[in-house]
Amino acid sequence: MKTSQILICISRVLFPFIVLYGFYITINGHLTPGGGFQGGAILATAVLLSYFIQPEKIRNLNLLIKLEKYMFIVILIVSSISLFTRGEIFTNFLPINSSINLKSLFLTILNLFIGIKVSTGLVLVFSTFIEEGK
Amino acid sequence: MIKKCMLIFMLTILLVVFSRTSFQAIQNIDTSSKDYYLKNTYSDTGSKNIVTGIYLDYRLFDSIFEASILIIAVSGIIFMSKKDDEVV
Repeated sequence: MKTSQILICISRVLFPFIVLYGFYITINGHLTPGGGFQGGAILATAVLLSYFIQPEKIRNLNLLIKLEKYMFIVILIVSSISLFTRGEIFTNFLPINSSINLKSLFLTILNLFIGIKVSTGLVLVFSTFIEEGK
Repeated sequence: MIKKCMLIFMLTILLVVFSRTSFQAIQNIDTSSKDYYLKNTYSDTGSKNIVTGIYLDYRLFDSIFEASILIIAVSGIIFMSKKDDEVV
């Protein structure tokens, strides 16, 4: 497939801004609209743009599969720490009368992990389709 | 002809029933859960965005299975697209 030179040039300019915006949406999920799922989708579009820039580059899909599986296990572990600290599973692991700024640390960590997991999942879906269509 | 008439008849019945139930639902809305979340979410979870407070603290059990949907879909796509002699 032949890609236009203008599209490649514009993609090179836009790529770092899209990555920055995706991380902003992911990390600020507890203050502004957004969150892990939406930010992960934006990060996946950045990787989709990089297919325009270097279409011949072969990527290692096995690493991404391993990353997504381990991210899911990490999310399960982080969300079930509260069984030992609070006594009930699947909530915040900090005690219930700690300060509000400390409580939002849990939301930031979980949003970041969910964002990485969703972005690797979407990247895997369309990388598989692109490899198949060659 | 009969098929089209039956289809239009069924769609009209659906429209009437849906509009009746929605007009009835407007008159008696229960706002107790909305008031609870508006009052207590910031002090309980520490998030100014109430949606994040609900899906990462109150309903985290639901959100984990929502994240696992994607991993199941990805594993299905990779299983259907891999070659015969390739091991993932």
